[in-house]
Amino acid sequence: MTDKTRPDAARLSRRAALATGAATLALPLVARAQAPVVKVGLIHPVTGALAGAGQRCRMGGQMAITDINAAGGIKAMGGAKLEALLGDAQGRPEIAASLVDQMAEAGASGFTGCFASALGLAATQAAAKYNIPFSIDSGIADALTTRGLKNVFRFFPNNTTATTDAMAALDQINRKAGSPAKTAVIVHEDSEFGTNSAKLQAAALPKIGIEVKALIPHATPTRDFTNIVLRIKSEKPDLVVITNYENEYVLLARTLVQQRVDLVSTFSISGGGFSLKFAKEAPAVAENMIDFNHWYNPKDPRALAFRKRIEDSGQIFSWEYPFGYFAVRLLADAWERAGSADKDKTIAALAASTFSDHFMPYGPTKFTDGQNAGSHPVALQIQKGDIKVIWPEAFADAPAVFPRPKA
Amino acid sequence: MKPVLALLVAVVALAPFASSSQYLVNIAMLTAFSAFIGQGWNISGGFGGLTSFGHAVFFGVGAYTVAILQTRWGINPWLGLPAAFVLGGLVGAGIGFLSFRAGLRGSYFALVTLAFAEVFRVLSNSSDLTHGGLGINVKLQLGAANFQFADRRASYAVVLVLLAGATAIAAWLKRSRFGARLVAVRENEDAAQALGVGLVRTKTAALALSGALTALGGVVYTQTYLYIDPSIAFGVERSVEMLLVVMIGGAGTVWGPILGAIALHLIADVSRTWIDTPGFAPMLYGVVLLAIIAALPGGIAGLKGRLGRA
Repeated sequence: MTDKTRPDAARLSRRAALATGAATLALPLVARAQAPVVKVGLIHPVTGALAGAGQRCRMGGQMAITDINAAGGIKAMGGAKLEALLGDAQGRPEIAASLVDQMAEAGASGFTGCFASALGLAATQAAAKYNIPFSIDSGIADALTTRGLKNVFRFFPNNTTATTDAMAALDQINRKAGSPAKTAVIVHEDSEFGTNSAKLQAAALPKIGIEVKALIPHATPTRDFTNIVLRIKSEKPDLVVITNYENEYVLLARTLVQQRVDLVSTFSISGGGFSLKFAKEAPAVAENMIDFNHWYNPKDPRALAFRKRIEDSGQIFSWEYPFGYFAVRLLADAWERAGSADKDKTIAALAASTFSDHFMPYGPTKFTDGQNAGSHPVALQIQKGDIKVIWPEAFADAPAVFPRPKA
Repeated sequence: MKPVLALLVAVVALAPFASSSQYLVNIAMLTAFSAFIGQGWNISGGFGGLTSFGHAVFFGVGAYTVAILQTRWGINPWLGLPAAFVLGGLVGAGIGFLSFRAGLRGSYFALVTLAFAEVFRVLSNSSDLTHGGLGINVKLQLGAANFQFADRRASYAVVLVLLAGATAIAAWLKRSRFGARLVAVRENEDAAQALGVGLVRTKTAALALSGALTALGGVVYTQTYLYIDPSIAFGVERSVEMLLVVMIGGAGTVWGPILGAIALHLIADVSRTWIDTPGFAPMLYGVVLLAIIAALPGGIAGLKGRLGRA
């Protein structure tokens, strides 16, 4: 018996020894693996109709992660590195929500996204169930931050701010030129984004002395604007106010020129197609179009350096890059100040955020129910193939061309 | 054989409850959900041969019913289920009566359903009742009493019960007189009429039943994602999803929609999870879809018959 037990005991101790040895060997590995990593879920539509903008937001977010890691990670967390979890929402809310589940299980400490408001509504709601902070990059719908979700923060302007500011800008530009614009037609795409904006615009324009002659909705996608432009022509407005996505914006602008519609100006709020790409590809159509939109502060050298960095990588600059970028930086700033990726601490840090290390024309960050009260869009005009800020004067790098010269 | 099959189905259906991964349960939920709305489509489209391109109309009616009832009048969303069932049935009966009395069938009927869905989309886009293009946000108030579940397993359980009910109805159609009349109409309207089957009544009843079931899908969607707008509710993607699930699985069969949903979600989710190249996942999805359609005209459920013949 004793003879039998001895080898057993020996075997056991050998096994124990091996285990101890393995554990000792593994220790440095474990320690190295525990070098803290903070995972950020980037949820965007990178395929489907919204793919272009979604990819730009994603790239901005990835640039921020690269920059933060290169600068030593989250210092308050022992130099924790950020790691991106990438998700393609394909333009479908249920996929956006499903990605939140997937990433929450993969250990995401924060989310950014989702370019489109409908995706953001589903994703933020899903993230709220896990109490994971969500920093909205693009998605202008007021509802994103008015539903009382404690985990949702938007550094960037919402629809109401955008419309209120836009009307102030239009009023000042118009009056400075002797009020040549007295009537307007509103053309908008017919989903949440366009309908909401058009409704706000129709209520606000009369208050600045501009009569709204018609509201014309159109579907996305629409590929022929001839009928819509003929209707605009029959209304003889001074201004055409446009709210829609990229392709429709460009097509409408082109049709307005082709049909020789005589206008004081065109004005858009977050005009989807108002971009440097448009300015460079169709300079004759784009020249002097005015948009009230997101842009950087052109007087901040960091902004120009950022733009150059995008352009050096072979891309055409657009506002989605800094949006994706600062949505991540806002989260990182909160982790830095919270000294932890703990959800409650991060949310508290975001709510008290005074994030100022940015080059947007916003001033200091102050969150009211998740919305940055300091964020404002600016009035932009395409001039000689480039985009210039024409309002407010504090950030302007060119005077407005208004009314535009007759063709 | 049958008990073994039943056991297998039960194991597959109940397995997700053992998983602690919300993501996996969510995939199971989405799959069961597709199967459920597919089964809704199958009842009229599969058994009755009433190919519809606009079944989203019923889905949307259900989705908006529960959303409007609770956001406007504070009515408990659980009551949205019977309300949506009745409204979906009425809309189905209405569309059916109008189309079938006019003698529309085949591609004409398909186009009319597409048009109805589009009309509903445009109406919901411009009506105040539905908040127009803004859509309706349902307030997040987690709790079983509010039909909102923090745990996806609960949502899955609800969908599973609905799916079981719809599948039972499909099984009943297989052996009931009404089902026999419906199949007779599908196979040959003139012959069915000669045998005394009321064409308009039979087809209208099938579309009403199908509409009522599909509307329940809309209720579940709204309560899961808490936001709907006209294109989510009445968009053509939803109609295509229902139709695809049935076509891939096998139209007019009891298990077709379930097999189809499993196949489609497996392809979509696996490709999305494992393939990072943007655009590749939908492309692969399309290719597999084409392959199934080309190789299996009777759907996956038709595979048994083909293998039997071989």
